[in-house]
Amino acid sequence: MQEVTKTFRERLIDFTLYCRERQFVLGPPETRDAFEIAERGYFLDRKLFQYSLKAIYCKRKEHFDRFDELFDRFWSRYYEDKLAQQKAAIKHKKKEPDTATVIFLGAKFNVPKPPREEQEAKETVGANESIRLRMTDFSKVDVTDKERLEELAEELFHQMSMRFKRRMENGNKGQIAIRNTIRKGISKGGMLLDLTYKRKRKEKRKVVFILDVSGSMDTYSYYLLRYVLVLKKYFKSLEFFTFSTTLTHVTPMLRSNNEQQILREVGKNVHSWSSGTKIGESLTEFLGSYGSKFLSQKHIVVILSDGLETGSVTQLQEAVRTIRRKCKTLVWLNPLKGMQGYQPIQKGMVNVLPHLDAFESAHNLDSLLKLEKLLMDV
Amino acid sequence: MNTDIERLITDFYEHDYILNEALATSIFLLKNLEKPLLLEGNPGVGKTMLGKTLAAHLDTPLIRLQCYEGLDVSTTIYEWNYQKQLLHIKLFEQDTDKKALGNRIFGMDYILKRPLLQSISAQKPVVLLIDEIDRADEEFEAYLLELLSDFQISIPELGTINAVSKPLVILTSNRTRELSDALRRRCLYHWVDFPSKAKEIDIIAKKLPNIEENLASQVVTFIHNLRKSSLHKPPGIAESLDWAKTLLLMNAANITDELVQNTIGSVLKHKEDVEFVKNKTVQEFLYPIDS
Repeated sequence: MQEVTKTFRERLIDFTLYCRERQFVLGPPETRDAFEIAERGYFLDRKLFQYSLKAIYCKRKEHFDRFDELFDRFWSRYYEDKLAQQKAAIKHKKKEPDTATVIFLGAKFNVPKPPREEQEAKETVGANESIRLRMTDFSKVDVTDKERLEELAEELFHQMSMRFKRRMENGNKGQIAIRNTIRKGISKGGMLLDLTYKRKRKEKRKVVFILDVSGSMDTYSYYLLRYVLVLKKYFKSLEFFTFSTTLTHVTPMLRSNNEQQILREVGKNVHSWSSGTKIGESLTEFLGSYGSKFLSQKHIVVILSDGLETGSVTQLQEAVRTIRRKCKTLVWLNPLKGMQGYQPIQKGMVNVLPHLDAFESAHNLDSLLKLEKLLMDV
Repeated sequence: MNTDIERLITDFYEHDYILNEALATSIFLLKNLEKPLLLEGNPGVGKTMLGKTLAAHLDTPLIRLQCYEGLDVSTTIYEWNYQKQLLHIKLFEQDTDKKALGNRIFGMDYILKRPLLQSISAQKPVVLLIDEIDRADEEFEAYLLELLSDFQISIPELGTINAVSKPLVILTSNRTRELSDALRRRCLYHWVDFPSKAKEIDIIAKKLPNIEENLASQVVTFIHNLRKSSLHKPPGIAESLDWAKTLLLMNAANITDELVQNTIGSVLKHKEDVEFVKNKTVQEFLYPIDS
């Protein structure tokens, strides 16, 4: 066993908190394991210590991809602090530095450090910070918050996906499945000892998402797209369309399990990103080309758009009315609704409002997470 | 590099498995912290092979549990040997002490051990490979939690059975569904990525000693560039090896358009992917890549 200094222990706890603030799911067992490897002396070898903590602290690929950068960022600061302390100690007290620490911190951390006060302020992210980011309008996220918002979105969407899954899996055992019970009994001499039940699962819903990717929706489209990707496996069928001036059927591009690959694919194949908005025309095209296939009394239709129509308002109203008639529920998510003082007074929105079952905001993480209940309860 | 890790890498290399330092550290911790290791990664990157190699490296039996939807306690942990119990009841039906009879037929002698119970009953630590856990139901994940955290299994009639020796547990997942946080928390984690070009050439050379260096390099370059394309199923290391083996059998010295047309089926398994490659020339996949 290697003696670990109090400072190092505190630093290790700090690192655990630092990772936890960045959405790593870490509890006392992980901290205990981290201490155990430190006491075994693994911290004397930087790589061994880094990879060991990586295996213990990471629980998903997303953590795995980010860990090395976090480790370098955190421990290089420690190194520079230590180095500064050692210099000061040599200068003023002419005292020998702690050799074990020096070996571990061997000159392998070379990441430049911003001024300490500035850096600490940035890295002290607690519950309040998370709440602030959850409430921040996507269009108002500055560059410094963007990375944190990404991490938070990833974690919150993951948690939402787990909740969806649990709700979908819950269900009572239902009736006894006679055929399976008899088949199971064959190996036990024909005695029906193990009963098999017909499980009643909640019927998965069918949903169609139609996302506005025009210029005015630019800042929102990316998060809305990621939100839809999280939901895709929890519906019996999920069809996804994007539109601005033309309509694109995106569902065939969602087949991969790799979110980054899907985003690349969508970016490459949807040609109308950031162009004008012709909602009415696009919805009419949807009705004409896909309506018979994807609209029924079992379908929920969710339109994600700011409703800033540049085409014919009559055509938009007619299209929305027809969609509402053909589907079970029609929901319109409008990022502008989250703005203070917003009133749906644009011609486009005024005309479609009477046909909607729900009109909600979708401008920040919090509003997207609230939609979960709406989608589950429909 | 730490000497233990270095030794592990060398040993695995002798068993034809090329470890990188991070993965070797995870294996090292699996052995030393006695915690299960969850390996995630694309199909064909060598997750299952790692379990097999670990067993060979430790010279210990490998107990493999291939997961599928519908796995339950009776196929994975234990099952009462009903025939034997009934026979015993018949033999001793004249016995007046029914309670003792009841106790006897619900003893360890009347249990059929399935892989998980076998793994904790072994005298010497075995390697337990729970393969493709993402294919099993959530209920099965819940069964596993007790085993993974405490290395024990509860059988209602017998109570808790503790491990005689703690198995080295490796779980693999292709991420076809998200695993529960409870399961993840109990495991060490490693994402097994596609190898670098140099490492993949090493793997091919190790597995196929007769292959020319030039051909191995071409195969790997082609496969790496394929992985960058948007395919339904990017080829794994297993596919690289299969293709290299095929080309070797055909006495190829270089990859040509004709060879690609005739043999790409050993690399790509989807019609759209095969068509995508067939519509391009071989040179389009042989441009240099960063190693």
